[in-house]
Amino acid sequence: MSVSVVVPVKDGERLLREVLDALARESPDEVIVIDSGSRDRSVAIARDAGARVVEIEPGEFGHGRTRNLGASLCAGELICFLTQDATPCPGWLAAYREAFTLDARVGAAYGPHLPRPDTSPMIARELREFFAAFSPAGGPVVQHEQTFLSNVNACYARACWEEIRFRDVGYAEDQAFGADLLAAGWTKVYHPGAAVLHAHDYGPLEFMRRYFDEYRGLRETTGHVEPLRLRGTLGLVGADVRWMVDEGFAPGDRARWAVRSLVHHAGRRLAAPAGSRAPRLPRAVNRRLSLEGRDGGATAPPEPVPAGKQIPAWGNRNPDYHEAALVRANGPAPLLDPVPGMAERERLRIAMILPPFRRGSGGHNTLLQIVTRLERRGHVCSLWIQDVMRMHQSDWPGVLRFNLREFFAPVAAPVYKGFDAWQGADVVIATGWQTVYPALLLGGTRARVYVVNDHEPEFYPTSVERAIAERTYGEGLYCISASPWLRDVLAERYGAQGDTFELGVEHDTYQPRAVARRDDTVVYYARHGTPRRAVPVGISALEELHRRRPQTRFVLFGDRRPVEAPFPHEHLGVRSPLELSWLYSQATVGLCLSMTNFSLMPKEMLACGLPCVELAGVSAESIFGPDGPIELADLDPVAIAGALERLLDDRELREQRSRRGIEFVAGHTWEHATDQVEAGLRHALAMREASWGVVA
Amino acid sequence: MDGAPGAQESTELERLRARVAALETELVEVQARANAAVAAAQERAYWLERWHVDLNALMQKPGAAQFRALLRAIRWVGRTTRRIKRRFAP
Repeated sequence: MSVSVVVPVKDGERLLREVLDALARESPDEVIVIDSGSRDRSVAIARDAGARVVEIEPGEFGHGRTRNLGASLCAGELICFLTQDATPCPGWLAAYREAFTLDARVGAAYGPHLPRPDTSPMIARELREFFAAFSPAGGPVVQHEQTFLSNVNACYARACWEEIRFRDVGYAEDQAFGADLLAAGWTKVYHPGAAVLHAHDYGPLEFMRRYFDEYRGLRETTGHVEPLRLRGTLGLVGADVRWMVDEGFAPGDRARWAVRSLVHHAGRRLAAPAGSRAPRLPRAVNRRLSLEGRDGGATAPPEPVPAGKQIPAWGNRNPDYHEAALVRANGPAPLLDPVPGMAERERLRIAMILPPFRRGSGGHNTLLQIVTRLERRGHVCSLWIQDVMRMHQSDWPGVLRFNLREFFAPVAAPVYKGFDAWQGADVVIATGWQTVYPALLLGGTRARVYVVNDHEPEFYPTSVERAIAERTYGEGLYCISASPWLRDVLAERYGAQGDTFELGVEHDTYQPRAVARRDDTVVYYARHGTPRRAVPVGISALEELHRRRPQTRFVLFGDRRPVEAPFPHEHLGVRSPLELSWLYSQATVGLCLSMTNFSLMPKEMLACGLPCVELAGVSAESIFGPDGPIELADLDPVAIAGALERLLDDRELREQRSRRGIEFVAGHTWEHATDQVEAGLRHALAMREASWGVVA
Repeated sequence: MDGAPGAQESTELERLRARVAALETELVEVQARANAAVAAAQERAYWLERWHVDLNALMQKPGAAQFRALLRAIRWVGRTTRRIKRRFAP
C-alpha cells in the first residue's frame, strides 16, 4: 500500500527537522507539508528535507479543512497525518501498514503519543496510562465502538476519507471523524507500534488555556459538556506521586512536581467546564481564555445555507441491515469441511438462532417443542437470541432462558444473547428472516438450515424488511418449511431447496374435554394486531352471521385488547392452552383465518373435536386437502358466514367433521414433526458431504 | 498409476477416519458438558440476572471490601458468643 504523509505546519521550526528526518527513515512514498503562514524557517526546513510544500493563507487554515486539502493533494492509498511536533518512532510506518490488514473494513488507525524525556510527570503519566488502556494486552486492537482518534498521529484509508471527510470544525475534527467512521460501518485500529514522541508541556496557566480550547472544541463537535467537579483532584496528584516513585524521581523533585501537579489538575478541572460553556461567554473572554486566541466564533467562512445543528453519533446501527450488508459485501463465513459420516452421527451439535419472542408466539412454540425433543434424542443444542429491535435489551440471558422455558417448552439448552460466546456447531439453524444473516456470518459450522414457519415477506408492506426477508430464501440455506404450500412457494419463487414438516399438536392438552358441547357458540381467533389474520373480514363475516342468526353466541380471543365489533360478543383475551382446550371442547364451530401459512390453531381446534372454518386458496388445502376435515371458505364475509352457518345448522355435518378432524390430527405430533426436522438437518449435512464427494 | 488405494493406504485411511470419529464424539461430549454447565449456571443465577445484579461488579465498588469485613466481624462475634455460651452452659 502506498503511503502519503501530510504535516500541517505553522511556525514549527523547533521540532520540524527532527520530525521530517524521522519520517525519512520510515520511507513513505510522499510527504506534504502544508504551511499556513509561518514566519520562521519552517518552509525552508521542509524544502530541505525534500517535502512537497503547499503554502496557504493563515485565514484559510482549519483543522478539518486543511487536512481535507492535504488528503486531496496526495496520492497514497494510506494517508498519514502528523503534527509538526510529533516525531515518529522506528517502526511507525510498518505498524500502520500492519494495522490495515487486521480487518476488512479498517478506515483509520492511530498510535500512542509517547512523552519526550523532558515531559512533566503529570503529562507523561497521563499519556502512558491513556494509551495503555486501549490495548491491555499490548498488541494492536480493532475498535468497533471506541470513537477516540487523534490527528497528532493517525493514518486513514483513502476510501474511508473519501466517504467521510473531516468536518470543518474549529477543533476535534479527528474525534468527529472517529464517530462518523464507526457510524458508517468502518472500524479503526489502535496500534501500539505506530508511536510518536509528542507531548504538550506548558506552564500552569497555558495548560488551563489549552484545556479551555480542547473542551470548547469537544462541545462544538460532540456536544460534550464537562461538569464542574474538584473532587478527585488529590487522587490524581497521588497517582502522579506514585508514578514518580515508580520512575525513580528524587524526593525533592517529587515534592516540587507534586505542587505543580496539584495546580495542574485543579486548573484543568476549572478550565475544562469553562471551555464546555464557552458559547455562553462573551467573545472577548473567549479570546482571552483561549491559547489559540480564538474568540469561539465560526471558523468557517459564512455559508449560503446556514449550518445544521451538529448531532453527535447516537443510537446503534440496525443489525438487520448491517449484517445483510456485511454478507453482501464479503459473502458468508466459510463452512467447515464435511467429514465422512457426519450426517449419520448419532448426536449432532445443533445451534438454533431465535428472533425476539413474546408469550404466545406460535412460531417460537413450534421451535422450542422441536428443540426439547431433539435434546431428548441426545443432540447437543444451544439457543442464540438475535435481539433485533432490542426487544430484550434489558433481559439477561438467564432471564431469557427462564422465559423460553416458561412460555414454550422446558428446554435444557443454554441460552445466549448475541454471538460473543459462539462456539461452532454441526448445524446452525436460522428461524426467521432476521436470523439468516447472523447465521451466514457464523463460522465453525458444517451446514446452515432455515426452519421456515411462514412466508415472512408477506408480513410487511413494500419496505427494506420485505426485501431482506425475500432475499433470505435465496441465500443457499437448506429450508425446512412448515407446510407443503410453503415449501412450494420457496422453491418456485426463490429456488430454495428443502424439506417440509408438519406442525404437531400437544395431544395431552388439546383433546375433547368432559364438557357438554353447546350448539350456538362460534369461537373466533380475532388477533387483530396481526394483519395476516384478516380480522376485518372475520368481523364482517360474524356480523353477517349475527344478522342471519341473532341467537348465536360469539366468543372472541387471541388479543389482549377487545376488537371493535358491531355485534354482541364475549372477549376472552389471551388464554392458556389448557383453557383453550376447554373452550374448544364446549364450542360449536371455530373460525381461524390465515392469509399466509396456516397456523396451529385449526389443528388444535380439530384435536378437541371442534369443526372449524379456514381460508380457501392459501395454505390449508396443502395440509388438510380440498375436502378434508376443515370447512374452507373464500376471503369473503358472506362466504365465511355461509360456511359457519352450514356447520351451525347441520348437526350431522358438524359431527362428521369433528370425527374426521380428531382422526386427522391424531398422527400430527411433535415427535413426528421432530422426526421430519431431524431428517432435514441430516439431509442438509448429507448434501454437504455429497457436494464434496465425501464417502463414508 | 492405479487410482485405487493400496492395502496400506486403506488401513491408514480407516485409522484416520476412526480417529476423526473419535474426536468428533469427544467434541460432542465436551460441548454437552459445557452446555449443561452454562445452563445450570443460568438457572442458579436467575434471580440475580432478573434483578440485574452483577455480584462481581458490586464487590468491586468502594466500600464492598469493608462491608464484607464487617459481615465477617459480625459473624465472628456471633460464633464466639455461641462458643462461649456452649462452654459455660450447665
